[in-house]
Amino acid sequence: MSDKVHLNVNGLDIQSDPKKLLIEACEDSGIHIPRFCWHKRLDPVGMCRMCLVEIETPRGKMLVPSCTTEITDEMVVDTESDVVKKAQEGVLEFLLINHPLDCPICDKAGECPLQDQTMAYGPGESRFVEEKRHFEKPINISEIILLDRERCILCARCTRFSDEISGDPLIEFIQRGNKTEVNTFPNEPFRSYFSGNTVQICPVGALTSTSYRFKARPWDLKSTRSTCNGCTMGCSIELNSSQNKMLRILGVDNDSVNQGWMCDKGRYNFEYLNSEKRLKVPLKSVDNNFEETEIQDIYSELSEIIKDKKNKVKFFLGSNLTNEDYIAFREFSKSISDNKQSFYINDDLLYQGHFGKDNELAKIDDLNSSDAIVVWAEDLKEKLPVLYLRVRQAVKKGVKLIVFGHTNETLSDIADVFYGKETVSENFEIIKDVSKLEEINNYVIDKNVTAIIGKSTPQQSDASVSELFEFLKANANTKILNAYTKGNTYGAFQTLENIKGTKDFVDDISSENTELLFIVGADPVGRSFYSNEITSMLQNLNTVVSLDLFIHETSELSDYVIPISSTLGEKDGTFTNIEFRTSRIDKLVPSPGQTVSDWEFITSLMNFAGLSNNFNSLEDLNNKAFEGIEASSSPVFDNLDKPSNVDGIINIDTPTINTSENNLSKRLFYIGEKLYGDSVTERHSESISLLGSKKFIEVSQNIVDKFKLTSEKCSMVQGELEVTVSYKVNNKLPDDLIYIPINRRELNKFDFSKEITVLPSRVKEALNVN
Amino acid sequence: MKETILLTKHMRDNPEDSHLIESYEKNNGYETARNTLLSSSPENILEEIKSSNIRGRGGAGFPTGVKWGFLAEDEDRYLVINADESEPGTFKDRILLERDPHQLIEGIIITCFSANIKEAFIYIRGEYAKPARRVQQAVEQAYEKGYLGKNIFGSEIDLDIVVHLGAGAYICGEETALLNSLEGRRGEPRLKPPYFPAVKGLYMKPTLVNNVETISSVPWIIEHGGEEYNKLGVEGSTGTRIFSLSGHVNNPGNYEIEMGSSFGEFVDTLGGGIKNNKKVKAYIPGGASAPWFRGDQLDIKMTIDDVANNNSMLGSGAVVMMDEDTNLVSAAKSIVSFFAHESCGQCTPCREGTTWLEMILDRIASGRGRTSDINLLLDVCDNISPGLSWPPKMTTICPLGPSAVSPITSLMNDFRDEVENLIPTKVLL
Repeated sequence: MSDKVHLNVNGLDIQSDPKKLLIEACEDSGIHIPRFCWHKRLDPVGMCRMCLVEIETPRGKMLVPSCTTEITDEMVVDTESDVVKKAQEGVLEFLLINHPLDCPICDKAGECPLQDQTMAYGPGESRFVEEKRHFEKPINISEIILLDRERCILCARCTRFSDEISGDPLIEFIQRGNKTEVNTFPNEPFRSYFSGNTVQICPVGALTSTSYRFKARPWDLKSTRSTCNGCTMGCSIELNSSQNKMLRILGVDNDSVNQGWMCDKGRYNFEYLNSEKRLKVPLKSVDNNFEETEIQDIYSELSEIIKDKKNKVKFFLGSNLTNEDYIAFREFSKSISDNKQSFYINDDLLYQGHFGKDNELAKIDDLNSSDAIVVWAEDLKEKLPVLYLRVRQAVKKGVKLIVFGHTNETLSDIADVFYGKETVSENFEIIKDVSKLEEINNYVIDKNVTAIIGKSTPQQSDASVSELFEFLKANANTKILNAYTKGNTYGAFQTLENIKGTKDFVDDISSENTELLFIVGADPVGRSFYSNEITSMLQNLNTVVSLDLFIHETSELSDYVIPISSTLGEKDGTFTNIEFRTSRIDKLVPSPGQTVSDWEFITSLMNFAGLSNNFNSLEDLNNKAFEGIEASSSPVFDNLDKPSNVDGIINIDTPTINTSENNLSKRLFYIGEKLYGDSVTERHSESISLLGSKKFIEVSQNIVDKFKLTSEKCSMVQGELEVTVSYKVNNKLPDDLIYIPINRRELNKFDFSKEITVLPSRVKEALNVN
Repeated sequence: MKETILLTKHMRDNPEDSHLIESYEKNNGYETARNTLLSSSPENILEEIKSSNIRGRGGAGFPTGVKWGFLAEDEDRYLVINADESEPGTFKDRILLERDPHQLIEGIIITCFSANIKEAFIYIRGEYAKPARRVQQAVEQAYEKGYLGKNIFGSEIDLDIVVHLGAGAYICGEETALLNSLEGRRGEPRLKPPYFPAVKGLYMKPTLVNNVETISSVPWIIEHGGEEYNKLGVEGSTGTRIFSLSGHVNNPGNYEIEMGSSFGEFVDTLGGGIKNNKKVKAYIPGGASAPWFRGDQLDIKMTIDDVANNNSMLGSGAVVMMDEDTNLVSAAKSIVSFFAHESCGQCTPCREGTTWLEMILDRIASGRGRTSDINLLLDVCDNISPGLSWPPKMTTICPLGPSAVSPITSLMNDFRDEVENLIPTKVLL
């Protein structure tokens, strides 16, 4: 391309794209300029002054910060002159005069930019003889983050991240001059869903996390690149372990997906791996008690059942399986069943979606290049947090954002248009003529639109979701991201056929048609709209086999429990994200006790039962998963391991989803999920275990008045069951609707097919557990 | 020498009620603005300002007409009056705000007419409570009379003025920090480039930032013509200027004079000489940020260029005299302490460096200095302002850091003995 800009740096001619910052242009050409405050994903501030370089100007040579200077053609730059070196030494000396010498007990030591750059560019010794600046040593600025202000070099990376990227500026500079410090506002902790990113980008050990603090030295860490399977975003991550224990997860800068960021749940929900309560031996239920047993015995007992009742073997699969695990179940099912088996996925919200030739699927990057983004789905910040960051990024670039529905209130702040309860009814239907909404006409018609559309709650009808998309498709150049939110759902789409959801599971399965049920990595009893139905179903079935990490409300109703290894760090495989991007899941730590991978269990069972199987290794399964895709673009291990493919390979597929329509009538409650809940893995991850423990519901002021709620708490009553919860007033909710986060303790006990009443709290001084 | 009274005429003639609109109008106040809006054109006004050759009175001395000409085109443009007068030794804007606020408002009206601006802000330092009350009252009076608001003076022109009080930070006198503060952000200077106020100023819109005295001069210039103003003073430093004289002089205070006489003459006549007939050891020609002159340099002319040619600056027009008994190390230390206290904390060299300088000077001043401290002092200065030259180069974002360096380089260049004498006896071997 001829529109390159030519510069002379240190006597070398380099070229770069116009408008780039000098520090980036140099970096691209292999010339490293030291820096602290500059970060590729944040706006430059030029505060640390470490990246000063000399440029020639009509008035002679001038020192300028390379992180705020845009390159110009014919620019002459010196990054190594004596003046530059003196300035860099000076800045480092200034940074160090008040920096404590506690490197021996600092978590950052060993991977610390301040240490590294002091070695490379620093003055060698200190001339500062006065007392250093003192602050109270680490203060808890949230449940999971600590701040040591003595170590802070005030680079503003954390404050900028919170302001620019996550949009919850809960930490700021206070005081000024030599007394400047980073801190939170009084009585407002740093409770951000994204706070862990600030720990990762802190160039010193000022911000640390409770989960990693004092656990390891960086030079002892083993690491591998992997993919987060917490939601369908599939963030690229790096896993760190020491002494075979998973200790830390970092975000990897995958330009098309997470750009280095993660949500805190993805980052900190790993401590359960080391939990004492992990299942390590197979269990068998004898007289309602679990007894340890030999896996061989389980194989033989299950083989007997399979032999006779081939068509009566069913599968209920969670979303934390790898593609290879899914394939193992598919092959198992094929080998025993004559008809096309259905696979039930643990998702209350599974519906047909919009795939196939008639619909153009969007990539995440399309958000940035669209004219407008239209969202109608579950709350993105709660369910797809990093996609929420990408939407924020697009909005910052000027893309218009149109949000429908009270379920997406966290986006309402940045939305250009928010169609709340006036437009969307308590029954989750759009009650206005979309084509007559003025803003839709202004921002959407005939424009390039990315639609993020999915079901918000089980009671929403499929038709009402589709209606909006069909309108967009007819009136704009619309691409769609189908907003399924759970783990490797898209992996299931890509590998399985005849996929059904929890609703169909409840409708279809009975003791007449099911002899043996496999429940794999799922806890629908603990966390589903259909929890009650599933409980009675499991009690009626003959044989239920759970493959799981823990005993929880579902696995404790099983006849056999197989301890399995976690997809996070304990097995190899692949994961497919919301844009059908497949990337590697990598093993870093050994899995404990007698745990096995799902696919290993199935393979052994098939061998034991004498079923023919045509796979013997993970590689075989991996190859099977992507049969029919052209070899060069197939996301098989060999291809994914090529450096050019580490960010994953996209292969758009048309899944066969066969869900039936839900005919729930209008009711007072709707359910959703908050980011943090009390799932079994969260309960066993110490750092975050309390973040999702508070029981609450959200109500409109109308409900408060109607039910005469007075104190901070209220009681939810259904028959014998009474749960005391706190309530928050959320006036974005329609007048007659109450929101229940179902992933909070005890709230799943209710039968959501029947009404629940709300009463003023009858407990005088309600005990606040946690 | 004598004062030349232009800007301070009304307040001197009407000491009791010069701040009230009735008094101001009795003396033909607002006539110039009215005539301008009804019968002049923006281009004419800009021409008059250009031909007056007035240079900014805030400190940098940038030609005002040129500055107005730089203002980028945009639907929304703003005028911001920098009334955050906090440079130690400076107290000239205070009297203009407190005793003749209508002159400033009239200047704002004419300026906004010329630059096609519909909203102006007056940013007053937090400590100026009384001046701020007076300005607020004056703005309200002007609104009542229809001189502000919609269709002022019955013309098609609209103009609103917002009076805003700072919160006690010196750095907010730096124009981009002022804009941040006005927007409700931390008072920290912005990066230049890209945030030049004339292009990306208040709320990222083109913004004219002018000093109180500059804009207060506008009514006189327009009434009498730029040429008339240009005749006052000397080439390069035209017109009158209000100097704030303080220190060891018999008659400290504000004096409005034509630029061009020498500092010595100014001090001896209007200032009434040095107290107790002592000699001058050193003096500050233009506010605490300016490098000092020695007592034998009193014949330097009080013009922007003469002072600059002698490696200092006329700055905000604050002249501080220090007599022969002054402890210059203490004097330097108190200036450095001021800048350390006022550093915004944004960039490393200023945040850490100014406090370190203060600590070293404190050690020396209290007799605990080390022989290595002199080189250390100079080297720390060099790390803030490389080369210790004038005008200063800087490793910092704004000139506050180098301002703390100025008194130290003056001290070391001209009075090194005083520093060395404070360091305890060297060990003889």
